[in-house]
Amino acid sequence: MTLSRAEVDHVATLARLGLSDAEKDRLLGELEAILDHIARLQRVDTSTLAETAQVGDLVNVLRADVPEAPIGAAAALRNAPATDGSYFVVGAIQGTELDA
Amino acid sequence: MTPRTITELAAALRDGTTTPRTLLDAALAHVDRTEQDLNAYLAVTRELGYTQADAASHVLEEHPDTASPLCGIPMALKDVLCVDGIDTTAGSKILRGFKPPYTSTAVQRLFDAGAVCVGKTNCDEFAMGSSTENSAYGPVGNPWDIERVPGGSSGGSAATVAAGSVPYSLGSDTGGSIRQPAALTGVVGFKPTYGRISRYGLIAFASSLDQIGPFTRTVEDCALVYMAIAGHDPRDSTSDPRAVDDPLASLHAGVAGMRLGIPREYLGEGTEPGVRDAVQAAFRVLEAQGATLQEVSLPSTDVALSVYYIIAPAECSSNLARYDGVRFGSRVERPSLTDMYLQTRGVGFGNEVKRRVMLGTYALSSGYYDAYYRQAQKVRTLVSQEFEAVLKEVDAIVCPTSPSVAFPMGSRDDPLSMYMCDVVTLPANLAGIPGISVPCGFVDGLPVGLQVIAPRFEDARVMRVAHAYEQATDFHAQLSPYASAAA
Repeated sequence: MTLSRAEVDHVATLARLGLSDAEKDRLLGELEAILDHIARLQRVDTSTLAETAQVGDLVNVLRADVPEAPIGAAAALRNAPATDGSYFVVGAIQGTELDA
Repeated sequence: MTPRTITELAAALRDGTTTPRTLLDAALAHVDRTEQDLNAYLAVTRELGYTQADAASHVLEEHPDTASPLCGIPMALKDVLCVDGIDTTAGSKILRGFKPPYTSTAVQRLFDAGAVCVGKTNCDEFAMGSSTENSAYGPVGNPWDIERVPGGSSGGSAATVAAGSVPYSLGSDTGGSIRQPAALTGVVGFKPTYGRISRYGLIAFASSLDQIGPFTRTVEDCALVYMAIAGHDPRDSTSDPRAVDDPLASLHAGVAGMRLGIPREYLGEGTEPGVRDAVQAAFRVLEAQGATLQEVSLPSTDVALSVYYIIAPAECSSNLARYDGVRFGSRVERPSLTDMYLQTRGVGFGNEVKRRVMLGTYALSSGYYDAYYRQAQKVRTLVSQEFEAVLKEVDAIVCPTSPSVAFPMGSRDDPLSMYMCDVVTLPANLAGIPGISVPCGFVDGLPVGLQVIAPRFEDARVMRVAHAYEQATDFHAQLSPYASAAA
């Protein structure tokens, strides 16, 4: 199992994690060790096994289609780092910067 | 005065020998005296506590017979549980100053019962860890030896009960985060069946695994807290609508005639000899009470850890995507939106959270999804099937809670060695089945826990076995130095 530094860069971009070069170097080694350990999973014969996504047996849980009082804009905005009236404020989205 | 149980305090509140305010005064004074050593709290909710204590006094005066046994009794909450208007950080810098706009269902049920909140307890960041050393606000000391960890991730909730500040607290358990710290601090810790307790208002880590549960000093107290918080909640779509069996009804039924299984894989070479001796002595106690013990096998135990460390990071990488510096939490201002995301998350998250977000994102990424995530989901099925088969053969499983006793702070800096802490607790999360840890001995003055595991929705059976063991021994009654020194 070898993880490349380019893969660490790629995954950090996918996860939107700003990491220093030192952090990436450290993570490369740590993730490799963890993935080496986890590799034993590949030896299990799973040809007859279905996937478990959840352990409960509830299916399609829906509530009655009755309106409830919303939490309200003031409460929803209370923790936001920047707001304007009843809006969240973010920086402009420029060009193709989200193309990772 | 030694710390009292919920049952004892409920009686004292009714015979007039104490009041909710007196109990809160004592709890706050105890926290003040011990915090410098323990760092178990991220916030002390003095004002909320006194408001609740006064309301509880009123209820106890007006309706002493119908008031909940929890009414007027102090408690603490792991800082992953939202309380309206009260700082909730999940042990992370990214949520410093966050004040939730609502209260979690489990906590609201305690408040409705008249519980008195002392504070929010320290934990590993976003509940990721087994030692509470990953908190952004400093580690928690183990009341039995403050140079050692209390376990994790609910280390603050475990430590405050072990120190005798409060008779109970709530934690959350995704891979052992209630049971393992309970074992390492010598208290009772219970992870209920998946779906039994609403997670509405619990800050999510891995949603197919997370459960809320109590820390207490006795199994009877555990049953009391469980009954107050268990049961259906329409606000959590994984909350199960089935009626809750009251564990108090069968608590004293004993283990005579019960078949108990000892998984041979759970006492493997990673288990410290002292832990093995203590747990084997516990097996003999159960046998002496009429249980039949037999060896059983859960062959996928060694791959269960690998399954967990794919599924939990995968779910966390998805759940933690919400911390983007827009709607809540801290933000690092940058002119471009992408840079703002990168810096906000890069600065706001600690090392273990970054490691798991990276691991999870990798396992879910194109080209690796089938080999890692899908394969882990399939092996998860195998882990569940093995439990199902064994739990048809025996009524419950008994085993260690943790392969080791509390270890020195800083001694497990390699992530894999830390992950091994959960090797005998996380399989129950993968299968969604209930498990409890009850004190079963000491190694060089450090507590050991006995774990009891049963089939789904047999939460009462878990408590029945643990109670039978507890009543035959006095390990649960031994107090940490911080508790025995309590005034």
